[in-house]
Amino acid sequence: MPEFEPRIVAFLCRWCAAAGADLAGTSRLQYPPNAIPIRVNCSGRVEPQWVVEALKAGADGVLIGGCHPGDCHYVVGNYKTRRRIYLLRRMLAEMGIEPERVRLEWISATEGARFAQVVSDFVAELKRLGPLHGNGGRG
Amino acid sequence: MKLAVYWTGSCGGCDVSFLELGMGLLEVLSRVEIVFWPALVDAKRRDLERLPARSVDVTLVNGVIRTAENKEMVEILREKSKFLGAYGACAHLGGIPALANQVNGVTEIVFGPGFRPGAPLGEAAEDAPPELLPEALSLDEVVPVDFVVPGCPPPAGLIARFFEAAFAEAISPGRIFAGEKALCEECPRTREDRRLTRIVRPHEVQPDPEKCLLDQGIICLGPVTRAGCGAACPKGGMPCTGCLGPTPKAGDPALAMLSALASLVRAGEEGESAFPEENKILDSLVDPIGTLYKYSFAKYGRPLLKLARKRQEVRA
Ligand code: SF4
Ligand code: SF4
Ligand code: FES
Repeated sequence: MPEFEPRIVAFLCRWCAAAGADLAGTSRLQYPPNAIPIRVNCSGRVEPQWVVEALKAGADGVLIGGCHPGDCHYVVGNYKTRRRIYLLRRMLAEMGIEPERVRLEWISATEGARFAQVVSDFVAELKRLGPLHGNGGRG
Repeated sequence: MKLAVYWTGSCGGCDVSFLELGMGLLEVLSRVEIVFWPALVDAKRRDLERLPARSVDVTLVNGVIRTAENKEMVEILREKSKFLGAYGACAHLGGIPALANQVNGVTEIVFGPGFRPGAPLGEAAEDAPPELLPEALSLDEVVPVDFVVPGCPPPAGLIARFFEAAFAEAISPGRIFAGEKALCEECPRTREDRRLTRIVRPHEVQPDPEKCLLDQGIICLGPVTRAGCGAACPKGGMPCTGCLGPTPKAGDPALAMLSALASLVRAGEEGESAFPEENKILDSLVDPIGTLYKYSFAKYGRPLLKLARKRQEVRA
Protein backbone atom coordinates (compact mmCIF):
# COMPACT_ATOMS: atom_id res chain seq x y z
CA MET A 1 0.00 0.00 0.00
CA PRO A 2 1.48 3.41 -0.92
CA GLU A 3 2.27 5.71 1.97
CA PHE A 4 -0.54 8.02 3.07
CA GLU A 5 -0.03 11.51 1.63
CA PRO A 6 -1.97 14.06 3.68
CA ARG A 7 -3.89 16.76 1.87
CA ILE A 8 -3.43 20.22 3.33
CA VAL A 9 -5.33 23.37 2.53
CA ALA A 10 -3.16 26.39 3.34
CA PHE A 11 -4.72 29.82 3.76
CA LEU A 12 -1.80 32.21 3.38
CA CYS A 13 -1.77 35.94 4.02
CA ARG A 14 -0.52 37.67 0.88
CA TRP A 15 1.70 40.08 2.80
CA CYS A 16 3.68 37.46 4.67
CA ALA A 17 3.10 33.71 4.48
CA ALA A 18 2.19 33.68 0.77
CA ALA A 19 5.29 35.77 0.02
CA GLY A 20 7.30 33.39 2.23
CA ALA A 21 5.96 30.48 0.18
CA ASP A 22 6.99 32.24 -3.03
CA LEU A 23 10.44 32.79 -1.59
CA ALA A 24 10.71 29.12 -0.69
CA GLY A 25 9.89 28.40 -4.32
CA THR A 26 12.29 30.87 -5.92
CA SER A 27 15.03 29.75 -3.51
CA ARG A 28 14.39 26.21 -4.78
CA LEU A 29 13.92 24.86 -1.26
CA GLN A 30 12.76 21.27 -1.11
CA TYR A 31 9.56 20.59 0.82
CA PRO A 32 6.63 18.20 0.43
CA PRO A 33 4.04 19.14 -2.20
CA ASN A 34 1.04 18.35 0.01
CA ALA A 35 -0.26 21.87 0.62
CA ILE A 36 -2.74 23.57 -1.68
CA PRO A 37 -2.20 27.29 -1.11
CA ILE A 38 -5.09 29.76 -1.06
CA ARG A 39 -3.97 33.36 -0.87
CA VAL A 40 -5.99 35.69 1.35
CA ASN A 41 -5.56 39.38 2.02
CA CYS A 42 -4.96 38.88 5.74
CA SER A 43 -5.11 35.88 8.07
CA GLY A 44 -7.92 37.78 9.78
CA ARG A 45 -10.04 37.09 6.73
CA VAL A 46 -10.06 33.32 7.35
CA GLU A 47 -13.43 32.28 8.71
CA PRO A 48 -13.73 29.19 10.91
CA GLN A 49 -16.38 28.02 8.44
CA TRP A 50 -13.75 27.91 5.68
CA VAL A 51 -11.49 25.77 7.84
CA VAL A 52 -14.30 23.34 8.58
CA GLU A 53 -15.41 23.38 4.96
CA ALA A 54 -11.89 22.36 3.92
CA LEU A 55 -11.89 19.49 6.41
CA LYS A 56 -15.32 18.34 5.26
CA ALA A 57 -14.31 18.57 1.61
CA GLY A 58 -11.37 16.24 1.98
CA ALA A 59 -8.46 17.99 3.65
CA ASP A 60 -6.59 16.10 6.37
CA GLY A 61 -5.27 19.35 7.81
CA VAL A 62 -5.60 23.10 7.43
CA LEU A 63 -2.71 25.54 7.73
CA ILE A 64 -3.25 29.23 8.31
CA GLY A 65 -0.22 31.41 7.73
CA GLY A 66 -0.28 34.96 9.05
CA CYS A 67 2.05 37.84 9.82
CA HIS A 68 4.04 37.82 13.04
CA PRO A 69 2.43 39.63 16.01
CA GLY A 70 2.82 43.35 15.45
CA ASP A 71 3.28 42.97 11.68
CA CYS A 72 -0.30 42.49 10.42
CA HIS A 73 -1.04 45.05 7.72
CA TYR A 74 -4.47 45.50 9.20
CA VAL A 75 -2.97 45.77 12.69
CA VAL A 76 -5.11 43.19 14.50
CA GLY A 77 -6.22 40.65 11.86
CA ASN A 78 -3.79 38.02 13.04
CA TYR A 79 -4.85 38.48 16.70
CA LYS A 80 -8.45 37.95 15.76
CA THR A 81 -7.58 34.81 13.85
CA ARG A 82 -5.49 33.50 16.72
CA ARG A 83 -8.47 33.71 19.07
CA ARG A 84 -10.82 32.16 16.52
CA ILE A 85 -8.54 29.25 15.78
CA TYR A 86 -7.91 28.71 19.49
CA LEU A 87 -11.63 28.31 20.12
CA LEU A 88 -12.23 26.33 16.95
CA ARG A 89 -9.58 23.82 17.93
CA ARG A 90 -11.26 23.39 21.29
CA MET A 91 -14.58 22.72 19.60
CA LEU A 92 -13.05 20.26 17.12
CA ALA A 93 -11.47 18.38 20.02
CA GLU A 94 -14.85 18.11 21.72
CA MET A 95 -16.27 16.58 18.56
CA GLY A 96 -13.50 14.02 18.42
CA ILE A 97 -11.32 15.56 15.71
CA GLU A 98 -7.66 16.07 16.61
CA PRO A 99 -7.11 19.82 17.05
CA GLU A 100 -3.58 19.38 15.65
CA ARG A 101 -5.20 19.16 12.22
CA VAL A 102 -5.66 22.92 12.30
CA ARG A 103 -2.43 24.86 12.56
CA LEU A 104 -1.78 28.58 12.78
CA GLU A 105 1.76 29.80 12.09
CA TRP A 106 3.40 33.18 11.83
CA ILE A 107 5.56 33.31 8.70
CA SER A 108 7.06 36.53 7.35
CA ALA A 109 7.80 37.34 3.72
CA THR A 110 11.51 36.73 4.29
CA GLU A 111 11.05 33.35 5.95
CA GLY A 112 11.06 31.04 2.95
CA ALA A 113 12.98 28.42 4.88
CA ARG A 114 10.57 28.64 7.76
CA PHE A 115 7.62 28.12 5.41
CA ALA A 116 9.24 24.98 4.01
CA GLN A 117 9.91 23.77 7.55
CA VAL A 118 6.34 24.43 8.71
CA VAL A 119 4.91 22.46 5.78
CA SER A 120 7.36 19.58 6.33
CA ASP A 121 6.52 19.43 10.04
CA PHE A 122 2.80 19.58 9.39
CA VAL A 123 2.98 16.78 6.82
CA ALA A 124 4.92 14.65 9.29
CA GLU A 125 2.39 15.35 12.02
CA LEU A 126 -0.56 14.51 9.78
CA LYS A 127 1.12 11.29 8.70
CA ARG A 128 1.38 10.39 12.34
CA LEU A 129 -2.29 11.24 12.93
CA GLY A 130 -3.44 9.35 9.84
CA PRO A 131 -6.09 10.27 7.29
CA LEU A 132 -9.19 12.14 8.36
CA HIS A 133 -11.20 10.63 5.53
CA GLY A 134 -11.52 6.89 5.21
CA ASN A 135 -8.31 5.43 3.85
CA GLY A 136 -6.73 8.71 2.79
CA GLY A 137 -7.28 8.19 -0.92
CA ARG A 138 -5.16 5.07 -1.00
CA GLY A 139 -8.05 2.91 -2.24
CA MET B 1 -58.03 23.10 4.49
CA LYS B 2 -57.20 19.57 5.59
CA LEU B 3 -54.56 19.73 8.32
CA ALA B 4 -52.43 17.09 9.99
CA VAL B 5 -50.12 17.71 12.94
CA TYR B 6 -47.74 15.06 14.17
CA TRP B 7 -45.10 14.78 16.86
CA THR B 8 -41.98 12.67 16.62
CA GLY B 9 -39.23 13.02 19.27
CA SER B 10 -40.79 16.06 20.90
CA CYS B 11 -41.40 17.57 24.33
CA GLY B 12 -45.01 18.46 23.50
CA GLY B 13 -44.37 22.18 23.63
CA CYS B 14 -44.93 22.58 19.91
CA ASP B 15 -48.41 21.06 20.15
CA VAL B 16 -49.24 23.42 23.00
CA SER B 17 -47.81 26.44 21.16
CA PHE B 18 -50.93 26.77 18.97
CA LEU B 19 -52.71 28.06 22.09
CA GLU B 20 -50.49 31.13 21.84
CA LEU B 21 -52.72 32.26 19.00
CA GLY B 22 -55.31 33.15 21.65
CA MET B 23 -58.63 34.10 20.10
CA GLY B 24 -56.99 33.67 16.70
CA LEU B 25 -57.09 29.94 17.32
CA LEU B 26 -60.90 29.96 17.00
CA GLU B 27 -60.60 31.44 13.54
CA VAL B 28 -57.97 28.86 12.56
CA LEU B 29 -60.03 25.96 13.88
CA SER B 30 -63.10 27.16 11.97
CA ARG B 31 -61.13 27.01 8.75
CA VAL B 32 -59.32 23.69 9.06
CA GLU B 33 -60.44 20.11 9.03
CA ILE B 34 -58.16 18.13 11.33
CA VAL B 35 -57.53 14.79 9.68
CA PHE B 36 -54.77 13.61 12.01
CA TRP B 37 -53.37 15.15 15.21
CA PRO B 38 -52.58 12.61 17.94
CA ALA B 39 -52.22 15.26 20.66
CA LEU B 40 -55.73 16.50 19.99
CA VAL B 41 -57.92 13.86 18.41
CA ASP B 42 -57.90 10.11 18.55
CA ALA B 43 -56.61 8.62 15.33
CA LYS B 44 -54.29 5.71 14.81
CA ARG B 45 -51.63 4.95 12.30
CA ARG B 46 -54.01 2.73 10.36
CA ASP B 47 -56.42 5.67 9.96
CA LEU B 48 -53.62 7.65 8.44
CA GLU B 49 -52.60 4.78 6.20
CA ARG B 50 -56.15 4.59 4.84
CA LEU B 51 -56.07 8.19 3.55
CA PRO B 52 -55.49 8.61 -0.19
CA ALA B 53 -52.12 9.94 -1.32
CA ARG B 54 -51.82 13.74 -1.29
CA SER B 55 -55.20 14.12 0.34
CA VAL B 56 -53.91 16.22 3.27
CA ASP B 57 -53.39 19.84 2.29
CA VAL B 58 -50.84 20.73 4.95
CA THR B 59 -48.96 18.62 7.50
CA LEU B 60 -46.90 20.06 10.33
CA VAL B 61 -44.33 17.79 11.93
CA ASN B 62 -42.72 18.72 15.23
CA GLY B 63 -39.91 16.86 16.98
CA VAL B 64 -36.61 15.27 16.12
CA ILE B 65 -36.41 12.01 14.15
CA ARG B 66 -35.09 9.63 16.77
CA THR B 67 -36.69 6.21 16.27
CA ALA B 68 -37.44 3.89 13.38
CA GLU B 69 -41.13 4.59 14.02
CA ASN B 70 -40.61 8.37 13.72
CA LYS B 71 -39.10 7.78 10.34
CA GLU B 72 -41.87 5.49 9.13
CA MET B 73 -44.56 7.88 10.29
CA VAL B 74 -43.13 10.91 8.54
CA GLU B 75 -42.66 8.87 5.39
CA ILE B 76 -46.37 7.99 5.45
CA LEU B 77 -47.26 11.61 6.20
CA ARG B 78 -45.11 12.79 3.33
CA GLU B 79 -46.96 10.52 0.93
CA LYS B 80 -50.37 11.69 2.18
CA SER B 81 -49.58 15.42 2.11
CA LYS B 82 -49.47 18.11 -0.52
CA PHE B 83 -47.34 20.34 1.73
CA LEU B 84 -45.26 19.11 4.62
CA GLY B 85 -43.49 21.51 6.96
CA ALA B 86 -41.04 21.31 9.84
CA TYR B 87 -42.66 22.94 12.86
CA GLY B 88 -40.31 23.96 15.65
CA ALA B 89 -36.56 23.80 16.15
CA CYS B 90 -36.31 20.00 16.52
CA ALA B 91 -37.88 19.18 13.16
CA HIS B 92 -36.08 22.16 11.60
CA LEU B 93 -32.53 21.66 12.92
CA GLY B 94 -32.56 18.69 15.29
CA GLY B 95 -33.20 20.81 18.38
CA ILE B 96 -31.95 20.13 21.88
CA PRO B 97 -32.50 16.33 21.70
CA ALA B 98 -29.96 16.17 18.86
CA LEU B 99 -27.18 17.21 21.27
CA ALA B 100 -27.28 13.53 22.23
CA ASN B 101 -25.44 12.92 18.96
CA GLN B 102 -22.29 13.98 20.78
CA VAL B 103 -22.23 10.61 22.48
CA ASN B 104 -22.09 7.36 20.55
CA GLY B 105 -24.33 4.53 21.78
CA VAL B 106 -26.02 6.58 24.46
CA THR B 107 -28.41 3.83 25.65
CA GLU B 108 -25.59 1.37 26.23
CA ILE B 109 -23.71 3.92 28.27
CA VAL B 110 -26.75 4.62 30.44
CA PHE B 111 -28.26 1.14 30.70
CA GLY B 112 -25.27 -1.10 30.23
CA PRO B 113 -23.72 -3.07 27.39
CA GLY B 114 -26.04 -5.06 25.17
CA PHE B 115 -29.04 -2.91 26.05
CA ARG B 116 -31.63 -2.59 23.31
CA PRO B 117 -34.77 -0.57 23.78
CA GLY B 118 -37.76 -2.86 23.68
CA ALA B 119 -38.54 -5.97 25.63
CA PRO B 120 -36.75 -6.66 28.91
CA LEU B 121 -33.55 -8.53 28.19
CA GLY B 122 -34.25 -12.08 27.07
CA GLU B 123 -38.01 -11.60 26.72
CA ALA B 124 -40.18 -10.94 23.71
CA ALA B 125 -42.78 -8.22 23.95
CA GLU B 126 -45.60 -7.41 21.63
CA ASP B 127 -45.61 -3.69 22.20
CA ALA B 128 -41.88 -3.19 22.30
CA PRO B 129 -40.80 0.42 21.91
CA PRO B 130 -39.28 1.10 18.51
CA GLU B 131 -35.58 0.90 17.73
CA LEU B 132 -33.54 4.03 18.27
CA LEU B 133 -31.84 5.32 15.15
CA PRO B 134 -28.05 5.64 15.48
CA GLU B 135 -28.41 9.42 15.34
CA ALA B 136 -31.06 12.05 15.99
CA LEU B 137 -31.95 13.70 12.68
CA SER B 138 -33.69 16.81 11.45
CA LEU B 139 -36.83 16.18 9.40
CA ASP B 140 -35.27 17.14 6.07
CA GLU B 141 -32.70 14.35 6.44
CA VAL B 142 -35.56 11.87 6.17
CA VAL B 143 -38.18 13.37 3.83
CA PRO B 144 -38.34 16.44 1.58
CA VAL B 145 -39.58 19.44 3.57
CA ASP B 146 -41.58 22.18 1.84
CA PHE B 147 -41.41 24.91 4.48
CA VAL B 148 -40.38 25.65 8.07
CA VAL B 149 -42.18 27.30 10.97
CA PRO B 150 -39.15 27.72 13.26
CA GLY B 151 -38.82 28.32 16.99
CA CYS B 152 -38.68 26.51 20.32
CA PRO B 153 -41.61 26.59 20.22
CA PRO B 154 -42.66 28.78 17.28
CA PRO B 155 -43.83 32.18 18.54
CA ALA B 156 -47.44 33.27 17.98
CA GLY B 157 -46.61 35.88 15.35
CA LEU B 158 -44.88 33.35 13.13
CA ILE B 159 -47.61 30.73 13.59
CA ALA B 160 -50.15 33.35 12.50
CA ARG B 161 -48.00 34.27 9.51
CA PHE B 162 -47.89 30.64 8.50
CA PHE B 163 -51.69 30.12 8.71
CA GLU B 164 -52.26 33.29 6.74
CA ALA B 165 -50.08 31.98 3.92
CA ALA B 166 -51.61 28.51 4.13
CA PHE B 167 -55.19 29.83 3.90
CA ALA B 168 -54.20 32.04 0.96
CA GLU B 169 -52.59 28.96 -0.63
CA ALA B 170 -49.41 30.97 -0.84
CA ILE B 171 -46.79 28.76 0.76
CA SER B 172 -43.79 29.20 -1.48
CA PRO B 173 -41.49 26.16 -1.47
CA GLY B 174 -38.52 26.46 0.85
CA ARG B 175 -40.04 29.31 2.81
CA ILE B 176 -38.93 29.78 6.39
CA PHE B 177 -41.54 31.69 8.34
CA ALA B 178 -39.13 34.08 10.09
CA GLY B 179 -37.06 37.13 9.22
CA GLU B 180 -33.99 37.12 7.00
CA LYS B 181 -32.20 39.70 9.15
CA ALA B 182 -30.46 39.09 12.45
CA LEU B 183 -32.33 39.18 15.75
CA CYS B 184 -30.12 42.05 16.97
CA GLU B 185 -31.98 44.30 14.53
CA GLU B 186 -35.21 43.88 16.47
CA CYS B 187 -33.60 43.88 19.91
CA PRO B 188 -34.17 47.05 21.95
CA ARG B 189 -30.94 46.66 23.97
CA THR B 190 -28.21 49.22 23.29
CA ARG B 191 -24.89 48.14 21.88
CA GLU B 192 -21.77 50.06 22.82
CA ASP B 193 -18.65 48.16 23.72
CA ARG B 194 -18.51 45.35 21.23
CA ARG B 195 -15.79 43.75 23.25
CA LEU B 196 -15.83 40.84 25.63
CA THR B 197 -13.58 41.12 28.66
CA ARG B 198 -15.18 38.08 30.26
CA ILE B 199 -17.66 35.34 29.47
CA VAL B 200 -20.33 34.54 32.03
CA ARG B 201 -23.38 32.31 32.11
CA PRO B 202 -26.81 33.89 32.55
CA HIS B 203 -27.29 32.68 36.13
CA GLU B 204 -23.99 34.18 37.28
CA VAL B 205 -24.92 37.82 36.82
CA GLN B 206 -27.79 40.22 37.12
CA PRO B 207 -27.65 41.79 33.68
CA ASP B 208 -28.07 45.49 33.12
CA PRO B 209 -31.64 45.92 31.81
CA GLU B 210 -30.76 48.27 28.94
CA LYS B 211 -27.40 47.12 27.61
CA CYS B 212 -26.69 44.44 25.03
CA LEU B 213 -26.19 41.09 26.78
CA LEU B 214 -23.23 40.16 24.62
CA ASP B 215 -21.52 43.38 25.69
CA GLN B 216 -22.00 42.17 29.26
CA GLY B 217 -20.25 38.87 28.60
CA ILE B 218 -23.36 36.73 28.23
CA ILE B 219 -23.25 34.63 25.07
CA CYS B 220 -26.24 35.85 23.07
CA LEU B 221 -26.80 34.31 19.63
CA GLY B 222 -28.69 37.37 18.37
CA PRO B 223 -26.06 38.25 15.75
CA VAL B 224 -26.47 34.94 13.90
CA THR B 225 -30.14 34.12 14.56
CA ARG B 226 -33.15 35.05 12.46
CA ALA B 227 -35.38 37.84 13.63
CA GLY B 228 -39.07 37.07 14.07
CA CYS B 229 -39.75 36.63 17.77
CA GLY B 230 -39.40 40.32 18.65
CA ALA B 231 -36.22 39.43 20.60
CA ALA B 232 -38.37 37.79 23.25
CA CYS B 233 -35.50 36.38 25.30
CA PRO B 234 -33.20 39.44 25.44
CA LYS B 235 -36.24 41.54 26.34
CA GLY B 236 -36.78 39.21 29.28
CA GLY B 237 -33.15 39.37 30.41
CA MET B 238 -32.10 36.06 28.90
CA PRO B 239 -29.74 35.64 25.96
CA CYS B 240 -30.97 34.38 22.62
CA THR B 241 -29.99 30.74 22.28
CA GLY B 242 -30.79 30.57 18.58
CA CYS B 243 -34.13 28.76 18.40
CA LEU B 244 -35.26 30.38 15.13
CA GLY B 245 -32.17 29.07 13.38
CA PRO B 246 -29.40 30.91 11.57
CA THR B 247 -29.86 33.81 9.18
CA PRO B 248 -29.10 32.95 5.56
CA LYS B 249 -25.91 34.99 5.91
CA ALA B 250 -24.66 33.17 9.01
CA GLY B 251 -24.45 29.68 7.52
CA ASP B 252 -23.36 27.37 10.33
CA PRO B 253 -24.61 29.33 13.34
CA ALA B 254 -22.12 27.90 15.80
CA LEU B 255 -19.08 28.64 13.67
CA ALA B 256 -20.41 32.08 12.76
CA MET B 257 -20.95 32.88 16.43
CA LEU B 258 -17.59 31.39 17.41
CA SER B 259 -16.00 33.70 14.90
CA ALA B 260 -17.89 36.74 16.13
CA LEU B 261 -17.27 36.19 19.80
CA ALA B 262 -13.61 35.30 19.42
CA SER B 263 -13.06 38.52 17.54
CA LEU B 264 -14.69 40.48 20.38
CA VAL B 265 -12.60 38.98 23.18
CA ARG B 266 -10.15 41.44 24.74
CA ALA B 267 -7.75 41.20 27.65
CA GLY B 268 -6.45 44.75 27.61
CA GLU B 269 -4.35 46.01 24.71
CA GLU B 270 -4.18 43.43 21.91
CA GLY B 271 -0.78 41.87 21.34
CA GLU B 272 1.38 38.91 22.14
CA SER B 273 1.50 39.64 25.87
CA ALA B 274 -2.31 39.47 26.04
CA PHE B 275 -2.53 35.95 24.51
CA PRO B 276 -2.56 34.00 27.80
CA GLU B 277 -5.29 36.16 29.31
CA GLU B 278 -7.33 36.03 26.10
CA ASN B 279 -7.07 32.25 26.18
CA LYS B 280 -8.37 32.25 29.74
CA ILE B 281 -11.43 34.22 28.67
CA LEU B 282 -12.02 31.85 25.76
CA ASP B 283 -11.59 28.85 28.07
CA SER B 284 -14.35 30.18 30.30
CA LEU B 285 -16.91 29.51 27.58
CA VAL B 286 -18.58 26.47 29.10
CA ASP B 287 -19.75 23.72 26.74
CA PRO B 288 -19.12 25.35 23.36
CA ILE B 289 -21.12 22.72 21.45
CA GLY B 290 -24.15 22.87 23.74
CA THR B 291 -24.06 26.66 23.80
CA LEU B 292 -23.38 27.46 20.16
CA TYR B 293 -25.11 24.48 18.51
CA LYS B 294 -27.94 24.38 21.04
CA TYR B 295 -30.70 23.72 18.49
CA SER B 296 -28.73 23.16 15.31
CA PHE B 297 -26.39 20.28 16.06
CA ALA B 298 -28.19 17.68 13.91
CA LYS B 299 -28.20 19.86 10.85
CA TYR B 300 -24.88 21.70 11.11
CA GLY B 301 -22.67 19.67 13.45
CA ARG B 302 -23.41 16.34 11.84
CA PRO B 303 -20.99 16.37 8.88
CA LEU B 304 -18.02 17.01 11.16
CA LEU B 305 -19.24 14.53 13.71
CA LYS B 306 -19.54 11.89 11.01
CA LEU B 307 -15.92 12.50 10.08
CA ALA B 308 -14.89 12.13 13.69
CA ARG B 309 -16.85 8.86 14.00
CA LYS B 310 -15.31 7.37 10.88
CA ARG B 311 -11.94 8.34 12.20
CA GLN B 312 -12.61 6.64 15.53
CA GLU B 313 -13.74 3.49 13.71
CA VAL B 314 -10.56 3.46 11.65
CA ARG B 315 -8.50 3.81 14.82
CA ALA B 316 -10.43 1.17 16.77
S1 SF4 C 1 -28.73 41.36 23.56
FE1 SF4 C 1 -28.42 39.78 22.00
S2 SF4 C 1 -29.99 40.15 20.45
FE2 SF4 C 1 -29.82 42.02 21.71
S3 SF4 C 1 -28.34 43.31 20.62
FE3 SF4 C 1 -27.18 42.13 22.15
S4 SF4 C 1 -26.48 40.31 21.01
FE4 SF4 C 1 -28.13 41.22 19.80
S1 SF4 D 1 -34.69 35.36 21.41
FE1 SF4 D 1 -33.66 33.66 20.35
S2 SF4 D 1 -34.01 31.83 21.66
FE2 SF4 D 1 -35.46 33.46 22.31
S3 SF4 D 1 -37.35 33.03 21.15
FE3 SF4 D 1 -36.17 34.52 19.94
S4 SF4 D 1 -34.91 33.27 18.54
FE4 SF4 D 1 -35.67 31.90 20.14
S1 FES E 1 -1.91 41.19 6.90
FE1 FES E 1 -0.88 39.31 7.26
S2 FES E 1 -2.02 38.54 8.92
FE2 FES E 1 -3.01 40.44 8.59
